[in-house]
Order: sequence, then structure tokens, then C-alpha cells
Amino acid sequence: MGRGLVWILLALAILWSVTSAEMGLDKLPGAAARLGEFLGRMMPPDLSVWREVMRGLAETLRIAILGTFFAVILSAGLAVLAAETLVPVAVWRSVRGLLAMIRSIPLILVAMLMVGAVGLGPLPGILAITFHATGMLAKFYAEAIDNVAAAPVAALESAGASRAQQLRWAIWPQMAPVILRDTVFRFELNLRESLILGIVGAGGIGLYVQTYVRSFQYDKAATVTLAIVVLVLASEAVNAALHKRFS
Amino acid sequence: MTAAFTLNTVSHHFDGAAALLEVSLSAASGERVALLGPSGAGKSTLLALLDGRLRGWRGAAEVLGVPLSVKHAPPRDLRIGVGFIFQEFALVERLTVYQNVMNGRLARMRTWSSLLGRFGDQDHLKVATALEDTGLSGLARRRADQLSGGQRQRVAIARCLAQEPRLLLADEPVSSLDPAHAERILGLITGAASKRGIGVVFSSHQPDLSRRFADRIVGLRAGSLHFDKPSGQVTSDDIAELYHGKVSDVGLRVVS
Repeated sequence: MGRGLVWILLALAILWSVTSAEMGLDKLPGAAARLGEFLGRMMPPDLSVWREVMRGLAETLRIAILGTFFAVILSAGLAVLAAETLVPVAVWRSVRGLLAMIRSIPLILVAMLMVGAVGLGPLPGILAITFHATGMLAKFYAEAIDNVAAAPVAALESAGASRAQQLRWAIWPQMAPVILRDTVFRFELNLRESLILGIVGAGGIGLYVQTYVRSFQYDKAATVTLAIVVLVLASEAVNAALHKRFS
Repeated sequence: MTAAFTLNTVSHHFDGAAALLEVSLSAASGERVALLGPSGAGKSTLLALLDGRLRGWRGAAEVLGVPLSVKHAPPRDLRIGVGFIFQEFALVERLTVYQNVMNGRLARMRTWSSLLGRFGDQDHLKVATALEDTGLSGLARRRADQLSGGQRQRVAIARCLAQEPRLLLADEPVSSLDPAHAERILGLITGAASKRGIGVVFSSHQPDLSRRFADRIVGLRAGSLHFDKPSGQVTSDDIAELYHGKVSDVGLRVVS
């Protein structure tokens, strides 16, 4: 019975969405023309604003870098408390629960709260990214700790190596590549997500996207879009190269 | 000659089941001893005890003249003195062969230089010798996870030799190898020990190889000492009885 029921529920859900929302489907036929006009007004991009765009991009980059940096520091501490192999079950379970809760709060919501708390500018953006990224990074780091194979560590212990030497030459070599990969991955996410922070006043290039689109300066918005595309592609290329190097 | 180790009525239980039962055993330094017996006979437990990794056992034990504690890990000198070749090799997969072997020498270094990866000439020399003795010189820069099973085994042996132990322990060092490799590896371990004038204790399931490479064979069964004889005096009846119970039972089983 299970499978048939699932299909029926799925069909009902789609029907409900189509019929009950006031979607204004009647506007759809004219959309292509309007989209064409909109794109036409983006051409050619107005490159005269490149100075502002670069400043916005630099601020976004700084938000992502500092947000990642503070998230790494917080995560290193929280990961120890979230590691199954290091602390009692009551501790790691509650810390992981807390991290799951952090992950479930959308970044944009955190950013709005931070703007309310510390005012406009890059600071609320950095705080929001730090908070949001820690929910994921601390979990990843804890898993890296838990995945360390015990046998090589025991072998060094048996050979007389001190705890610090075991950490440096048996535990760290197992964890380092995983942690580096996870951190770079999270940095790329932070960079993408911080692009929109400016829309709620939390700093970065998002402010320019918002301003130019709202004021119908599509040719300037096009320049911003181009710059963002270049930045994201570049960060993806760097990430891919690192991935290859540290697998 | 001083004793490599002396055990006096040593017993140990895992979850109420006896792993070692009143075992008394000793070996002279430089002696090569093979432990034979069915799985679960207590061979690994005995080796872990000699390596100072077992806690909560009863009886008295002395290794290289140092009494073992029931509660605490042995002092650093003793941990350096006893080299252990682990069954699953226990290598750090992402490190090179060279660094894995160097890891065997960490306990002999000054802490700060070892943490910074600044190793002394003496350490490099000992690692080079260990690599040469195990035929690994050409693979020094290879990562451990890129090696075959036999090569990994030799890295584990080289790490142990670089440690410069005074007693060598090996837990089933050839269980995962084909007969030709098994012979070479046991020859390598016992040969390296003879060259350095140190004793070896290894566990095995291969009576013929054990007879060839050990001076003495100790049969363990259900945690108890079953026999303890010079290799030349161990008969196939001894072996059959060790693995299958009374010889007459084996005969019956074959007939039925």
C-alpha cells in the first residue's frame, strides 16, 4: 500500500500548491518579453562603477575570510566537545544537538538579528557567518576526530612515544587533510552566502546589487553580476585544485 | 644469560572468560620463541602483556629485568626496549614509508625537535639501516597507503627495528601472507633479531615455519600452557593434540 499512498499524497500536494496560492499565473505569458527588455537594459554593462564594485567585493571577501577564521577557532573547541571518542555521551549529544539547531537557522535571519544587535556594516555579516558556519564546521571537525584510526596511535604509544609525539605524528597526519578540505569547502560556501548579506545591511557587495536593481540601473547591476561570477568561479577553481592536492 | 622475560602464574580474564590461566614461562635473552595454538588460546593476550599493554591481570611478570605493573603503563625505557610488530601493521596511512619508520624512533628524540620534524643524523642513519634490512630503500618516499600487503608488513618491521628494541614481539606476523612471503618475512624478523643479538617472540598458526625459525615452541590452549619444548622435539602429535584435542579424538573424527 505504501508506494501508492506516497504518489497520491505527492499529487495532492502539487495540486494544493497550484490552486491555493495566488500566483498570478496570468502574468506568465508576457514574462519572456519583459525579461528580454530587462536583459537588454543590462547591455552594455556600465564599467564606470568598477571602483565601487571592487570595494564591495573586497568587503565581501573580508567578511568571508574573517567569518571563516573565527568559525575555525570556535569549531576547534566545540569539535572536541562533540567528538564521540573524547567526551561522555551526554556531552557530545547535547553539543551536536546545539550545532544542528545552529545549522537550521537560515543565514539571512541570523544576519538580520545581528544587524539589529550591532548596527549596519560588515561586523554583523562577520558575526552571522561565524555563527552559521560553526554549526557545520564543528560537526565536520568532530567527525574528523572520531575517524582517526586508533591502531597507529597505539603503536607509537607502545614504542615509547609521548602523548604530544603521538598527536603530532599519528593523530594530526590523519586529521589534517580532512580538516583542510572541510575548511576550504566551508570558505567557499561562506563566500557565496556573504554575497547576499548586503541586502539586509550586513556589509559587502549585496548592497550594490540591491541599490542598482531597485533604482533601475541595470547596466551597473550587470557589472556587479559579472564581478560576482568571476569571484565565484575563481574560488571554485582554487577549491578544486586544493581538493586534488589533499585527497 | 639474563632473562628476556619471566612470567609467574599469570592469569587474565576478559568479561569473565579466561584468556590466560596460571601461565608460568620465561625466555633467555636472544632466544627465539614461537607461540602456537588455536584462535582464542591466549597468544595475543600473552604478547600484549609482554608489551606492557594489558591491565588488570594477576600474577607476577618481569620483562627485560623490569617488573610490569598491573595498573600502569610501563616506563618509557621499557616501552622503547620492547618492540612490537602489530598484526594489522598499524601504519599512518598518509605518511611516507620513511616517516612511518622514523616514528619508531620518536621516543629516543628530544621532544621539541621531534615535534618540529627536525631529526638527528643518528636517527636518519638508523632509519636508513632499517629500510635497507627490510629491502625498502627504494620505497622510502612512497605513501604507506600506496603499498602492497607484504610491503606494509615490512614497513611495520622496519619501524620496529628503527626503535632499536632489546626484545622483539610479533603478533601473527605472517597470517595474511602466502607461503613464500610468509617464509621470507619470518626469516627477515628472526634474522634481524639474530643480527642484533636480541630475542623474538612471535605467534603463528604455521607449525612447520615455527619449527624452522624458532628455537623453542610454546603451545597454548584455552589460556593454559599445553607444551613448551625445543623446536626439534615438537612432534606432529603434539601439534594435532594442541589444535584438535586428544590424538585419539582426531583418529575417530577421520574415521567417522
